[in-house]
Amino acid sequence: MTKPLNEREIVLGILMDVTEHDVYSHIALGNVLSKYQYLDKKERAFITRVTEGTLEHMIEIDYILDQFSKVKTRKMKPVIRNILRSAVYQLKYMDTVPDSAVCNEAVKLAVKKGFGPLKGFVNGVLRSTARGLDKVEYPKEAVKGLSVRYSMPEWILEKWLQEYDIGMVEKILADFQKEKPVIIRCNTSYITPKELVERLKSEGVTVMAHPYLPYAFSITGYDYLGELSSFQEGLFAVQDISSMLAGEIASPKEGDYIIDVCAAPGGKSVHLADKLRGTGHVEARDLTEYKTGMIQENIDRMRMENISAVLQDATVLHEASVEKADMVIADLPCSGLGVLGRKTDLKYKVTKIQTDELAALQKEILNTVCRYVKPGGTLVYSTCTINRVENIENVHWFLETHSEYALDSIQDRVCRELQGAVQEEGCLQLLPGVNDSDGFFIARFVKKGSSS
Amino acid sequence: MAIREVREIGDEILTKKSKDVSKMTLRTKILIDDMLDTMYEKMGVGLAAPQVGVLKSIVVIDVGEGPVVLINPVILETSGEQTGEEGCLSVPGKWGIVTRPNYVKVRALDENMEEFEIEGEELMARALCHEIDHLSGNLYVDKVEDGLHDVQYEEDEE
Repeated sequence: MTKPLNEREIVLGILMDVTEHDVYSHIALGNVLSKYQYLDKKERAFITRVTEGTLEHMIEIDYILDQFSKVKTRKMKPVIRNILRSAVYQLKYMDTVPDSAVCNEAVKLAVKKGFGPLKGFVNGVLRSTARGLDKVEYPKEAVKGLSVRYSMPEWILEKWLQEYDIGMVEKILADFQKEKPVIIRCNTSYITPKELVERLKSEGVTVMAHPYLPYAFSITGYDYLGELSSFQEGLFAVQDISSMLAGEIASPKEGDYIIDVCAAPGGKSVHLADKLRGTGHVEARDLTEYKTGMIQENIDRMRMENISAVLQDATVLHEASVEKADMVIADLPCSGLGVLGRKTDLKYKVTKIQTDELAALQKEILNTVCRYVKPGGTLVYSTCTINRVENIENVHWFLETHSEYALDSIQDRVCRELQGAVQEEGCLQLLPGVNDSDGFFIARFVKKGSSS
Repeated sequence: MAIREVREIGDEILTKKSKDVSKMTLRTKILIDDMLDTMYEKMGVGLAAPQVGVLKSIVVIDVGEGPVVLINPVILETSGEQTGEEGCLSVPGKWGIVTRPNYVKVRALDENMEEFEIEGEELMARALCHEIDHLSGNLYVDKVEDGLHDVQYEEDEE
């Protein structure tokens, strides 16, 4: 018998897409897993683990390879480079796969991909890596050492070291490498948290309550989320706790008209619609039809009525919206440095210039969308980064340029565990490794004047 | 130690029943070694003796957990169901979707003609069923659910 699809070949395909063709890993992996749904659980788990692990530890893996290979990693042929990377990941991080199997499978794959002449090279490098793995010496310099050990680009480390001390940075790095649970939000419009837990348990899912919010849970033990009937019925949404906290801090009043300006994929907008209890309206805007399509899908699955997806560029002023909204939600495009634990390959894709450009874009959008808020209304600004320029510094800039706004106290809107993360009364900075969440920033402003 | 020619679909021998092995001989030992070599060389996960032109009830399997040699294998028990892709060294370049039991228990003799039992799940169960089918002259192509598909070898850059 032959196996037409070899899981290592699938992994190689994904790694090629991500490292050579700039596809985001969660997209490449998601496509493969939904295409090969009939693969058994063990194979799916192997593919996910090796792909994510290899990307997660790539700087370290390349460093290790360079110790044992005369040809440096960056000079290798892309196919060979990625075969070797995933093999080194298995050697170093997967005890269940015997070293000899890793080497043999890598050699076979190289041959199958048309690199027969490099068989000896692949075999040689991997066998000496397997033998010498425990004796590899890591760089002594602080930044370089952290960069290799935690596979984090040096420029990001240097940036963080200006803002946080080295102990804190190491804590954040260590947290990024921990496995992240999937967090879900109960769709309270259709089911109570208690009923949802029962329902999920009956579907074989392991459910744990989240300490920060009564309607948040972490789930494990399912094979493919899309297959759960509770998911198909929209009884819950997959959403990180940090994003739910943005909704919680927003806490609109019933009947409010809310504009979410960069809403895709719509998790927060739908959460707010849920909070409005069928009253008022949420307008979930985004830049492209692809994005509003994602929002619409989310709305449909969650069966929400008081919400619509609208195509609108957040940098362009929409005259008809000026001073119309009780609340504006601005969860803006950001460098994503707070969610590196979830998006394993993002750290290799962002650049220094992008983060500065993003801070400028955030200012531009804030300047525009703050005009939509009615006097007495609320503006909630959030990003999924731990980068000060995009967070507290933007808040200070905003307060200086918009004297009609003030920070609104959020202390009574967050649970006791998070009081320590509140800054200047109106801002919440969540740090991975410190808080039980991704890195995230939320600020709540109120526009002066009376709402009547 | 030699690589043997693998018979391909259309060859009558693949439709015939194999005979039980009554005693271990040098010829049979060499056959088993050659079958393993051939299976590894061609990147199969299993191979049955008729596929190399010998109508003996012998099967070799390696699903990534080491080689298993089965002489005169008999399926004792099956349960569950799995549906997935399957290919065969005797049907090169093709694959098809086949439903098999998810668990199989087999009794056979090892290379020293000693009886043993082996259980397999998922891929191992699939390989056991596929190879034992060969011994009664059956190919997976008669079991495929969605026709045969061509294996696509992606051309890689550089």
